[in-house]
Amino acid sequence: MTDKFHLGWFTNFAPPVWEGQFSGQNGATWANGKFYQDMARSLERARFDYIMLEDSSMVSDAYEGSSRADLKHHLYAPKHDPLPLMPLLAAATKNLGIVATASTSFYPPYQLARTMTTLDHLTGGRAGWNIVTSSEDRAAQNYGRATLEEHDSRYDRADEFVEVVDKLWNSWEPGALLMDRETGQYVDHTKVHPIHHDGQFYTVRGPLNAMPGPQRKPVICQAGGSPRGRQFAAEHADTIIAQSRGVERMKAYRDDIRARATAAGRNPDDIKVLFIVSPLVAATDEEAQEIWAARTVSAEANVERALAHLSALTEVDFSKFDLDEPVPGDVTTNGHRTTLAEFLKLGDDGRTLREVAAGWNINAVDLVGSVDTVADQMGEVMAHVGGDGFLISGPMTRPYIGEVTEGLVPALQARGLTRTDYLTAGANGAPTFRDNLLAF
Amino acid sequence: MFHLGWFLSFSTQAWHAPHSDRGGLFPNTDVYVDFARALERAGFDYLMIEDGSFIPDAYGSSMEHSLRTGFASPKHDPMALVPLLAASTEKIGLIATMTTSFYPPFLAARLMTTLDHLSGGRVGFNLVTAHNDRTAQNYGMDKHWDHSERYAIATDWAQAVTALLTSWDEDAVVDDTVNGVYADHTKIHQTDYAGDYFSSRGPLNVPPGPQRIPVICQAGGSPVGRAFASRFADTIVAPSGSIEWMKQYRTDIRAGLVDAGRDPDAVKVLFLTDFIIGDTHEDALELQRRRHAAMVADIEGRLAYMSFASGIDFSTFDLDAPVPPVSTNAAKTTTAQMFAGREHQTLREIASTIIPSLEIVGSPATAADQMEAVMAEVGGDGFLVNSPITPRAIADIAGDLAPELRRRGLIRSEYTADTLRGNLTAY
Repeated sequence: MTDKFHLGWFTNFAPPVWEGQFSGQNGATWANGKFYQDMARSLERARFDYIMLEDSSMVSDAYEGSSRADLKHHLYAPKHDPLPLMPLLAAATKNLGIVATASTSFYPPYQLARTMTTLDHLTGGRAGWNIVTSSEDRAAQNYGRATLEEHDSRYDRADEFVEVVDKLWNSWEPGALLMDRETGQYVDHTKVHPIHHDGQFYTVRGPLNAMPGPQRKPVICQAGGSPRGRQFAAEHADTIIAQSRGVERMKAYRDDIRARATAAGRNPDDIKVLFIVSPLVAATDEEAQEIWAARTVSAEANVERALAHLSALTEVDFSKFDLDEPVPGDVTTNGHRTTLAEFLKLGDDGRTLREVAAGWNINAVDLVGSVDTVADQMGEVMAHVGGDGFLISGPMTRPYIGEVTEGLVPALQARGLTRTDYLTAGANGAPTFRDNLLAF
Repeated sequence: MFHLGWFLSFSTQAWHAPHSDRGGLFPNTDVYVDFARALERAGFDYLMIEDGSFIPDAYGSSMEHSLRTGFASPKHDPMALVPLLAASTEKIGLIATMTTSFYPPFLAARLMTTLDHLSGGRVGFNLVTAHNDRTAQNYGMDKHWDHSERYAIATDWAQAVTALLTSWDEDAVVDDTVNGVYADHTKIHQTDYAGDYFSSRGPLNVPPGPQRIPVICQAGGSPVGRAFASRFADTIVAPSGSIEWMKQYRTDIRAGLVDAGRDPDAVKVLFLTDFIIGDTHEDALELQRRRHAAMVADIEGRLAYMSFASGIDFSTFDLDAPVPPVSTNAAKTTTAQMFAGREHQTLREIASTIIPSLEIVGSPATAADQMEAVMAEVGGDGFLVNSPITPRAIADIAGDLAPELRRRGLIRSEYTADTLRGNLTAY
């Protein structure tokens, strides 16, 4: 039984930190992709399992009924299509898994299946797809619909979407590619089959006109907190991104996922649940605490950013509420339900909207201290929860990335908590992203 | 001076031919990266990656021929290749095919802009309406829309995409680190596009790239296809044929552009051309003779190509009888050209004689002579190399022919602009 856990990093193809002390030239140059290429190299040096590029398709005007705050703080825009970044990250690395988000509400399934297969080849078997159903009416309106489909119906569509792309990825049997110069046969057509899918949402004949990549299907990533979302994740995902707050709820979430996976006939060890954290490390525990305190003070003065972000995520206009009253209780969303629920819960202790917003984050646990303190904490949390790892999210500056990859990770490795090397061989030859995920 | 492009697929490159990579390299991308660099050294304007989303099965009503020979299948998504080519080059244009029928406009506008940024303003998109029923069946339809409706959809699509691509003013990104403002919301506008087929509220969630609206490439010979091109295209991929035909084609295109209120010099027509280059002119003629003989011997391959273009299963026709009149909802112009003026020929005769397109055959010097003469007669604007990417083809055309053209001042000696549109319109 291993003590080792997995690491991922949660980001997007959007401007990294562009102002402030350590922003370099990011504001002007981020769209050329090189910041992220450098980041991928660092993550690979630290033996991360994957980098995950989240995504969304709209400019938010939920806060104050205007896009001012979104564009001032670049919360939801600009955000570039993450799929074109994948080949560039792959070119800079050899083992790192590369996951990008695509929405089942807006992509044609054939298109996604083909692009993902092409990318699996281009990355040498390291492509991953983060499944989202999308969460904003504004995104739906960009695609010509008045509103997004209702929450559970979106998941019904996503279920069928996954069924279709799975069939397409299996439309070529193993061994279809012959390349036999003696007989002049490139592909054995008896091993390539239409899928003839005819369902509630999609009709797709197939077959895929791209050959299966090294993984045959990309790694599936998913983040579902609602019961419907959890069920979907447990049935389909190789890795799940979790937001549960505190070790007890982390453990409960993972146990629930594992139980659902078992009920669905899957081996629960095949699903790696990674919990979002934003470690704050410094030379000593005291220094880290000071930085943390200073950040909180600054956040209370800059509550607009947090509220605008929350508004964008939930399409609820938080500017309408009194900042210095308790958190409103009766708010609902068709969007990110768990995020909203978690936020509202923070107000259970009677703190005001301003206080809660200032301290708001989506971390599973707070990790603040020297690298040794934080590494110890991470080990303890994992021991209690049972697995499977952490998804780092944090200020996107080169120094911060370095604090994690060159400071925190060596401390984790010294404790035998994260890998020191990737696999040298996989289930079918060269090791793939999925092989490394399943290694422990 | 004239322009050069290369027309290719992201698929196996002549795997079974001599002097090829024997199929071993696909889908390895290194060969494409090396190829792009070679074209850039030679001063090409662009490479153009065609595409399709189906496995041909018209011939013999089966995928057997296509899959056995590697003809038009498997074929991979060119969008994934573009970033790699962009990262390995600095000046050459990169055009990838996108279908207006099945790619949602918002997704398309976002992808286009992301790639425009990644390439420093060097991307273009070849807009196709998608070929046939099999493609439509991969996207939820029983049959594809009829040919003219496809173009009505494409027009609506292009309008929607253009509206999204212009939703951010040029100076919307402020990058004001003093006041902490990344972008000014008053300079980013809802699109509220509502057309017959598409609607999109907008705005786009990405700022404009260096070209703002990437280069649009188009290849459509039918009247509706040409009408579409005259409104939207920056470069046109044209079939070739006799000099007279090419000249007339270009004249018609330019007239259409003027009617559409556009400057005809701003749109470059490149003619698909086969090149056969040898050390001497006589060597090239011998290579041509052998190539033609091989094509005649491979009747099946010729018929499969005709079935692919038209959707008609020519394996069911009597090879030694004339061909009854055929029409298609697929590639209309290509199909018509196959049979035009050949009503009394047998199918075998039609399939054995090369579909008339321009062949430039010679040593680098005599080939350059021919190209110069064609351009002088036709008026412009350049040639699109139609060849699989084999080491020999790259060496012959980019390595030997292009320097000769350059020496004569027929193609650019250097790139004078940073964007694809800039270099296309430089002369």
